[in-house]
Amino acid sequence: MYVALHNLLHDRLRFALNVLGVALAVMLVLFLLGLEQGLRLQVTAYLRQAPGSIAVTQAGVDSFGGGSSLLPPGLEEDLRQVPGVAKVVPVLTQTAIFDLHDKKIFAFLIGYDPALGGGPWRIGEGREPRERGEVVFDRVLARLHGVRVGDTVEVQGQKFPVVGLSEGTASWMTALVFVRKADLESYLLTPGLSSLALVTPAPGVAPEALRARLKGLPGVEVWLKSELIESDLRLYQAFFKPVRLMSLIAFLVGTLVVGLVIYSATVERQREYGVLKALGARNARLYGLVLAQALAVAALGSLSGILLGFAAARLVLALRPQILVALEPGVVGLTLLTGLFMALLAAWLPARLVAGLAPAEVFRR
Amino acid sequence: MRTERAATLRVQNLSKRYGSGETAVQAVKGVSLEVSPGEIVLIMGPSGSGKTTLLSMLGALLRPTEGRIELDGLVLSELSEGRLPDIRLRHFGFVFQDFNLLSALSALDNVAIVAELAGLGRKAARARARALLEELGLGARLHFLPEQLSGGEKQRVAIARALVNEPALLLADEPTANLDSHHGHETMRLLRRIAKEQGKSVLIVSHDARIQDIADRVLWLEDGEFKEMRSLATDPVCGMTVEREKAVSAQWEGKSYYFCCRGCREEFLAGPQRFGKATT
Ligand SMILES: Nc1ncnc2c1ncn2[C@@H]1O[C@H](COP(=O)(O)OP(=O)(O)O)[C@@H](O)[C@H]1O
Ligand SMILES: [Mg+2]
Repeated sequence: MYVALHNLLHDRLRFALNVLGVALAVMLVLFLLGLEQGLRLQVTAYLRQAPGSIAVTQAGVDSFGGGSSLLPPGLEEDLRQVPGVAKVVPVLTQTAIFDLHDKKIFAFLIGYDPALGGGPWRIGEGREPRERGEVVFDRVLARLHGVRVGDTVEVQGQKFPVVGLSEGTASWMTALVFVRKADLESYLLTPGLSSLALVTPAPGVAPEALRARLKGLPGVEVWLKSELIESDLRLYQAFFKPVRLMSLIAFLVGTLVVGLVIYSATVERQREYGVLKALGARNARLYGLVLAQALAVAALGSLSGILLGFAAARLVLALRPQILVALEPGVVGLTLLTGLFMALLAAWLPARLVAGLAPAEVFRR
Repeated sequence: MRTERAATLRVQNLSKRYGSGETAVQAVKGVSLEVSPGEIVLIMGPSGSGKTTLLSMLGALLRPTEGRIELDGLVLSELSEGRLPDIRLRHFGFVFQDFNLLSALSALDNVAIVAELAGLGRKAARARARALLEELGLGARLHFLPEQLSGGEKQRVAIARALVNEPALLLADEPTANLDSHHGHETMRLLRRIAKEQGKSVLIVSHDARIQDIADRVLWLEDGEFKEMRSLATDPVCGMTVEREKAVSAQWEGKSYYFCCRGCREEFLAGPQRFGKATT
């Protein structure tokens, strides 16, 4: 296979440009995949961290973040009566516009009972709300808008003192802001109202079994929490699609780059492949040569692309902290596979070219 | 030690037709030939007479339309396509007009890779390649790229490559056409030495009449058929081989000169002393 390497390295500048081309494409793929993964993580952050394995919404509501769900009054008590239910955590949600100095910012208010749970899972600074009107702000949102613990934010004239900053609650759309459920109820003038009930089964009770038991309750939809997460993700599909399309384009561009490179290099050395064939090399060998070159370009390009991708993610984190580019091992693995696939695809046409060479042509000039 | 592999090549009634219908070209017509071990056969003939086609068929590079090729009892013309690469690799050594070395590889690797194709390990292949190249006087050029070698050196690398799998038969198509007469002669002497010392059959196709003297036998191919040897001359101006009967001629200082065309004759007559040393 050293022939492949020699062939590649014979023209170093071109080789470097190729690797760079692939690296940029791979970087884009990695970045976009990471972005999509980040979007997913952000969209599902609350439900993934919330207690319980069953979620109850209003009948006909199929997401947590999307629509407004209102549970029938007294539902929590009914739920607690069902055998196999260990714990019920009600939360009330509402999108709200905060007035910060002159700016208005959009946030997703989560009213929860600090005694029961369902609030922020990681507090970076300050504490949970204890007194009337106290809120825990998302830390990234707070940093972006200069909000500090001890400040007071306003929603439609009502004042909410910020007592803590939560982590992992940022979002490219609406960051989370936590408030006591009772305070949110009185702000909305809807005492006793809940949007969502998170149910924890008693030890030894399977979530599926408990859900079957709860299904009979009127006016509600009973979900496994994981199903509701899936359903939420479907809701945001429209946002993922363009990102996915862009990854696909990046992939195609990368493949085209490697493909063109390997193809032109093969055409250039067509005669030499023909010579090898005339001397007795089998097609499989020649495919190997072509593939080895494609793989070498793709491998080097992929590795540099991944490094570049991590750098880009860092840059985004510094410039737009509300956007999460989640470069998890799975995403990196997928990107590497993408690079490999690029190489295979790129080697295909040149391999066809080589296969079609007639060995007798070497005697022709 | 080199194993002495030699073989008899037997060709019967070989034909090749390119294409079909109105545009078909009958390039080789019913050619029969036998080459014994250690024999050097030179096939000459005008351009387009089918020399390359014939050589390609003999080297299992091209399937004959008709006829039979037998190498040491092995009937090549009946083998399946899949077996031919291996036959080429192990039984034939090819030498080309324009050397056809791999431009990205050193002289050593150019030879070694062919041994590797035949299944030799990299180390053993390189050792054998090195020995061969040293034997051909290229010990100081092992790590040179083809572009750094002279024409004669390139052709010697190509000959080493042709020899590295110890084939029974060497096939050379116009091996001297890209070399000056000195290096052309050197190459031919080398091929002769190889044939005689190692008992290899050598089949050379050329229209260069200057190499006739090293051949054991010269055959004349014309219009795809062997014809009686014509009396040939070399055009002193362009170096082409011409048939005396058909050529335009001129006299100078009591000797006859033959030319491929009027243009060459006129050029000659304009200053015969420039070409006069050339042989007739
Ligand atoms: N691949 C091909 N397809 C069609 N005709 C060909 C092909 N190769 C050679 N020919 C024709 O066959 C004849 C013999 O060609 P060739 O064997 O190359 O002769 P030479 O080597 O003596 O010059 C010529 O007329 C040439 O045009
Ligand atoms: Mg020819």
